[in-house]
Formats: sequence, structure tokens, C-alpha cells
Amino acid sequence: MLLELVRYPAYLVPTLVLPAVFFLFFVVPESRADATVRMATFAGFAVIGVAFFQFGVGIAVDRASPWETYLRTLPVGPGVRLAGRVASAAAFACAAAVLLVLIAIATTGASLPGMRWAGLGVALFFGAIPFALLGVALGYWAPVKGALPIANLLYLVLAYAGGLWIRPSRLPHAVDSVSPFLPTRAFADALVAAAIGSRADWAAWLTLGGFAVLFAGFAVAGYRRDEGRRFS
Amino acid sequence: MGPSGSPVIAAELRGVTKRFGATTALDGVSLEVREGETLALLGANGAGKSTALAVLLGLRAPDAGEARLFGGDPRRPSSRRRVGVALQEAAFPATLRVREVVELVRAHYERPVISAALIERFELGRLVSRQVGGLSGGERRRVAVALAFAGSPRLVVLDEPTAGLDPEARHMVEEALEAHVRSGGALLLTTHRLEEVDALATRAVVMGEGRVIGERAGS
Repeated sequence: MLLELVRYPAYLVPTLVLPAVFFLFFVVPESRADATVRMATFAGFAVIGVAFFQFGVGIAVDRASPWETYLRTLPVGPGVRLAGRVASAAAFACAAAVLLVLIAIATTGASLPGMRWAGLGVALFFGAIPFALLGVALGYWAPVKGALPIANLLYLVLAYAGGLWIRPSRLPHAVDSVSPFLPTRAFADALVAAAIGSRADWAAWLTLGGFAVLFAGFAVAGYRRDEGRRFS
Repeated sequence: MGPSGSPVIAAELRGVTKRFGATTALDGVSLEVREGETLALLGANGAGKSTALAVLLGLRAPDAGEARLFGGDPRRPSSRRRVGVALQEAAFPATLRVREVVELVRAHYERPVISAALIERFELGRLVSRQVGGLSGGERRRVAVALAFAGSPRLVVLDEPTAGLDPEARHMVEEALEAHVRSGGALLLTTHRLEEVDALATRAVVMGEGRVIGERAGS
């Protein structure tokens, strides 16, 4: 799966390059005062992009593919295929986050002390889980042709409204009033806490956990519905 | 050979019924394929051939009756260890090269065929370095049939095995299928072509409207 996607520019460009381009547009021209915090939230933006496109769009496309049907005739269970998808997504998420961080360091001088890099990495990994589950839910519920536009819409709107691009205090009032209820806002808050080295934002982590449970429910229901329609 | 000395039953359907809404795709279908023989499923479009294969391969669950692969439930991966499949639609990830697809499929089996031998047997040498997305329909079909043999299967299941192949490729595939059966393997194929039944099949089961409506001897 890794090899397949690396050679597919239509996947590579939006997932790896787009977050970095957005960083260059939204952060570099602004004051560098909070560049490190912005680096953290944009790394989050990069990571959830992989979750939306690899799981959301990837699963939706595979559902319609005879290749996916063929794979089911091979002597391995669905867990192995899922593990492959997760491993591939983790690799791309790492690549997207590292690229973003390198560009941030090079263009804004963003930096973190040693252990805070580890803290940020942990926050990125665990914080991405609800979005991977949302991606899986999207993959099983969305029609094949609708998966990409829906993923794009969710990705960009949630990222903006959650304050992953700009500080929530600078969001328009109407957006800011909704922002605290979004999973991306909780993710942003958790990432900011990791970046500035403050105590873990447990409210944010509880919110992310709640969304993970909710999205997992949708994902399982979508999987069972799809399995029931195509393979029962 | 089974313990009683008779050929092992590689695949069987016992009284399988499968409905899709108000449509009965299979109605009490029973058939079996033993090692050392080739069974062809013949029938018009909509006769139930593909549904029968889908149930046999664990892609669909029967509403009544049961399917078995080497005595096991086809929905369990362990039952598919000795089975190789080429479905009617040959689709692969477009950006992978033929060699990579071969290695990917081989990696799923405990005792796969050596890559070089598989590539030579199905004359894929010219294609191994090409991305699958750039292959013609006939070339993809040849790759699909080759992949059915990648795991050293005892049962090969082919849905329209030679569709889209030129005469030379068709002859090459038929030779490979005959060699498989001669070595004691089982072959189950669906086809519209009576000449394919005559050339390859030990027996043919004729299906119509979801039922077995007749049998005929093959070659």
C-alpha cells in the first residue's frame, strides 16, 4: 500500500505538500512570536489529512474495487489488511508531520527543547486516532464518488474552525462560538499544551476520547452495513 | 487422495440457496470438485455461476445449505490456503508493477511458487517491470490467471479464465491449467465457451435460473 500511494501524485501532493503550503501562506508572513505553536497545530493538520484521505477516501475507493474483492480470496483475514492500512497511514503521517516541521524550522525558526519534541510526537499520534476513526466511518458511509469531496470539506472546515491554522481568538465570532465543540479544537488545544510544555490539557484529551468513541461507533456500524450489503 | 483412497473433495456446495431481495440467485445448488478433475460451470448470464463461485470462495454467505473448501468454511482464511483464484474482473493497484503484485500475492501463502518460475510459466517476462495500470486488458487477464497459481494451490478457481486473451495466450493458459490438473490439482472454472469445456473439463455442470439443470461429460 505504501508503494502504491508513493507513486500516486494525486494522493501525495494533498497529504504531504498541502499542509506545508498552507503553513507558508498562513504563518510565515505573520509574526514569528507563536511560530512554534503554529508548527504544532499545522503538524496536526498534516496528520489528520492523512487520516481523512487514507482511511476515508482510501476505504471508499477500495469498496468499489475488484482488487479489494480479490484480496478477500487470499488466505488472510481482514485484520491483516487493516494493519497494513494503519501502518501505511502511520508512515505517511510521520512524513507529512516531519516535512511540515522542517519547513517551520527553516522559515520561522520554530524550535522545541528535546523532550517536548517527544511530547508533541505523542500528542500527534494519540490525537490523530479519533480522526482516523472518522476517516474509517467516512470510508464506509460515503458513496465512492462523494468520498473525496466530503473528505476535503470535512478536512478543511474542521481544520479552520478548530483553530489549526490560526489562533482560535482570531477566528470570526460565529466560528469561534462553535469551535470549542469540535474535535479539531480539542486536538489543537492538546497540541498547544504539548508545544509550550504546560500540563496536559485533560479536558481536550477527554473530548478527543469522547469523539473517538463516537466515531468508532459510526465506523463499526458503517463496516457492518457495508459487509452486510456486499459480502453477506 | 483421501483416507478412503478416493480423490479429495476440494470444493463443494451442498444444497446452497442464496437470495438477493426478491431474486433467488441460487436455489438448492449442490456440486463438488475433486482433486485431479476440472469442473466447468456453464450457463447464460444470470444463471448463477458467479454467485456460486462467490459462495464457494466465502465472498457471500448462503441463506441455506453450506459451502466447503477442503472441508472447511471458506470464510475462514485457513480454508483458503490451498486455493488460488482469478475473478472475472482483473483489477490491480494501477501504480504497482507486475513483479510487485506477484510478490504481494505470494507473500500471503506459506509455500508460494518461485517468482521466476511463475513469471516464465505465464510468459510475464516482458511485463514484470511495467505498472499494472499501463497493461492491456488481455495482459491484465494473464497476470490475474498467473496470480491464481502463485500460492502453489491444490484448487484453482477461475471465472472466465481466457476472456480477452489472444489465441496464443489462451493456449498458454490452457496448457498451464491442464498441467495443474495432471499433477493432481483441482480446477473449477466458469465459461461461456463450449470449446473450452471440451478442451479442459472433466465434467460440466449446466446452470440456469439459479439451479443445476444438467451435467455433461467433458474431454
